[in-house]
Amino acid sequence: MITAAIIAAHVAALVAWPILLVGVINRVKARWAGRRGPPLWQLGFDLWRLLRKDVVRSTTSTAVFAIAPWIVLGSALAASLVVPLAGPAPLGFRFDFLLLIYLWGLGRLALMLGALDTGSPFEGMGASREATFGALLEPALVLVLIALAAATHGASLAEALTTRPDDPQAAPVWIAAIVALLVVIQVEGARMPVDDPTTHLELTMIHEVMILDHSGPDLAAVQAGAAVKLATACALVANLINPVPAAAGRLAVAGGLLAASVAVALVIGAVEATVARLRLRAVPQYILIAVVASLVAVLATRWRGLA
Amino acid sequence: MLAIPVLLAGVVLTTALPGRTVKFAAAVGSQALAAGLVLWTVVPVLAGRPAVLDHTYAWSYPFEAIRIHVDALAAFFLAWSLPLTLLGTIYAHGYLARSFDEGRNPGPHFALLNLVALSFVIVYTVQNALVFLLGWETAAVSAWLLVIWDYRSQKIRFAGFNYLVSTHIGLFVLVAAFMLMHSRTQSMDFASFATVLGQPGELRDAVFVLLALAFALKAAFFPMHTWLPRAHAAAPAHVSALMSGVIHKAGLFGLLRFLLYLGRPDEWMGWAILVFGLLSALFGVLSTAAQRDLKRLLGYSSTENVGIAAVGFGLGCLGLTWQQPALVVAGFGGGVFHLFNHALFKCLLFYAAGAIYRATHSVDLERLGGLARSMPWTAALFLIGGLAIAGLPPLNGFWSEFLVIGGLAGGGAPSALGNVALAVAAALLGFVGATSALAVTRAFGMAFLGTPRDPKLRPADPPPSMRGVMVAQAVGVLAVGLVPTLGLALVQPVVAQFTAGVADAPTTASRLTDVQHGVWIAVAIGAATVGVGVALARRVRRHVTWGCGYTVATPRLQYTATSFSALFNRLFEVVLPSRQRGSLPKDVFPTKHGNLEIDHADPVEGRMFEVLAQNEEMAVKVSQRVPDRPRLSLGLGLVVLVALVVLALGGRA
Repeated sequence: MITAAIIAAHVAALVAWPILLVGVINRVKARWAGRRGPPLWQLGFDLWRLLRKDVVRSTTSTAVFAIAPWIVLGSALAASLVVPLAGPAPLGFRFDFLLLIYLWGLGRLALMLGALDTGSPFEGMGASREATFGALLEPALVLVLIALAAATHGASLAEALTTRPDDPQAAPVWIAAIVALLVVIQVEGARMPVDDPTTHLELTMIHEVMILDHSGPDLAAVQAGAAVKLATACALVANLINPVPAAAGRLAVAGGLLAASVAVALVIGAVEATVARLRLRAVPQYILIAVVASLVAVLATRWRGLA
Repeated sequence: MLAIPVLLAGVVLTTALPGRTVKFAAAVGSQALAAGLVLWTVVPVLAGRPAVLDHTYAWSYPFEAIRIHVDALAAFFLAWSLPLTLLGTIYAHGYLARSFDEGRNPGPHFALLNLVALSFVIVYTVQNALVFLLGWETAAVSAWLLVIWDYRSQKIRFAGFNYLVSTHIGLFVLVAAFMLMHSRTQSMDFASFATVLGQPGELRDAVFVLLALAFALKAAFFPMHTWLPRAHAAAPAHVSALMSGVIHKAGLFGLLRFLLYLGRPDEWMGWAILVFGLLSALFGVLSTAAQRDLKRLLGYSSTENVGIAAVGFGLGCLGLTWQQPALVVAGFGGGVFHLFNHALFKCLLFYAAGAIYRATHSVDLERLGGLARSMPWTAALFLIGGLAIAGLPPLNGFWSEFLVIGGLAGGGAPSALGNVALAVAAALLGFVGATSALAVTRAFGMAFLGTPRDPKLRPADPPPSMRGVMVAQAVGVLAVGLVPTLGLALVQPVVAQFTAGVADAPTTASRLTDVQHGVWIAVAIGAATVGVGVALARRVRRHVTWGCGYTVATPRLQYTATSFSALFNRLFEVVLPSRQRGSLPKDVFPTKHGNLEIDHADPVEGRMFEVLAQNEEMAVKVSQRVPDRPRLSLGLGLVVLVALVVLALGGRA
């Protein structure tokens, strides 16, 4: 019964939450610029519109191009299972964070192959950037999740994210982890200052340029996949800053988690409204912040005797 | 044991019988029979029953007693080495068909493949150092002769010679290690070597270093990998596949064999293996991301993958030192599983590269493109192998990488610094995984996707015999990927040998049960979304690729392999320097066509040749200073002779 409720809550969160978070980010950006901004559910309307359209595919493309968007969506959905989005995570086991990382990797690879399948130089350029930045980010992601697991003795990712050791010495681990994960959101979610989701110039894009040729339901799948991934990444941080303790009951924790997710989206939106996109050559240095922060987190766990 | 005469008979038959088909049938028949015999011996061992084969033959000096014994380690290696060699032989028949049509005699080639299979039986079962070396040498020389199939090309002869020299340097080191141990035990039997290796001390340290060097050279660890990319680029595809996937696994076998004798290794040994493994993985994967020759690329990826396996072995050794059975299981389990997985997907990738070469006579990524349309089978099979080599679920590479990285992430070192080092190693392996995903995207994307870059090429899928071999390999990759317990059934007995002393050691399978459920759920979700996607895309229209307003795009405008990885390679320019040739267009309105070619030569090899050249120059200079007078030369010669005699006498006293 409880398991069914958890799964139902997770599925509901997967449908509604990514759309809303993207809406929140866009609303913050609009307000910051003095505009009213689109409705919070705009992405939902967009997806619905796209789903009813026909598909146009490039004459050079093969089956890879047709399947790739759905692998992107499927892998993002599957990866979200180990993260508490609204209420407990439906799945949890030892080292499940590796499954999350590798599933994200699968989604990224599918997206890049779809882009290369069109033979467009622009899309090849986007894939090249995505591959490079993704590879550089990987050590940070692995290290930070190891640090959290070690600090909390949590067997699964969900436990590591939600357990709060009473030890005040754990604070440096948390701070470093939050810093690293914020960069992870920006890189994996293709947000500013790494990538500009609203730019009009193909030469400066990363994520958007890879999906230039997708259309109709295919495009909907890619956008939904990206939103799910963004929501999952936001939930990683939201779980860490969730103010409600586990003792307060499941519903209260879930409420706190949702509020924390919105707070993370607000931060992302505020950063996006105030910061310009980095030059591409500077992005590796920016990612280095995440790597260093995650290394600090690991060192903090070990030297403070938390592990 | 009967397998040896069967394979030898195969050798004789392939060379003696007339006719291509008959020779092929003799080779395949003898290998199939031998593989059957070997499996008949090996399967009970893997199932946990005591070895059927444990026999000691009395022999005269210098061999002494020759013990033949199939333990779990030997059984594991034999179980897949012979069947995979058989697949390679079948592939050879299709791959080399055109050369045979031109009148090349297929006999020696098939005979050499039989000899390779024979060397596996010897190396993996024999417990006598001298006979072991015989088998080792059989493998090395047959591999060399297989590499130089196209011996008319000077480049290929050079690659072969390079390999021959490298492998023999390794052999000398190995002989030195055996001689050191023999000097202590007066016996050539491995069991007696165990008494040397079991006791900590200087002798054990020295022997360990020598053995590790010899086996690392065989398995192409960084920085002893320089022979590998050349040999792989020169050899026929199936020979590259067998060398990378099967023959050079003998190096890792040797390492494991002697690690078993170590008992409880010193801590530095575990760290040394781990660090060397990590360096190999990092260097291998960075080179993989930069190569434009598909077969060189796959060669470097072998260095990467033996590195990952070695990180596992290092972790396992540390687990033995620290007496942490969980680490032993994760390390050796992951490492051994990974080398098995590597044999499956690397052979597949080399076969696919061979299919491309056969169709286009090129494996240059800058000339290929759009092959997925003309070679759909090869494209699909290459993609399966590529996803597996990138370690992505649900394919087999994921499971072994999961075991190794999970083992590193779990900690368990007695010191804080040790735990941090393990965590950093895990993170670096994560980087290796993501970079190999980049390399796979690049290789597959440039060769198979987009539009053809060279309109002169007329590619087509290979004939059914080659395709069948690739399908068989791909089925292995998929089966082990979806049901990893299939592979673990082979791996667990080997791990059990390392945890023999521990009462309640965990099993490799127990570490993967939960993950397996997770991956199955992910596969179900993925299949469902793809199903939805196919259902939704009922009406599909076709249109040219959106050119962002530019309407005269040509295939030459596509991103190339070099440009795809340029951003990434520039970051690692220090490790992997590039060479640029050509002239860029000048001025605002350029009048001349520009061109630019970037390629990445092996930095280790470059440095090696530099040092050698410097030494040669030095020798020349020194010899020039010696005055050209016969009397002086004779006098000097006499001095050297006397010195040598004194040294020899002193050494004896």
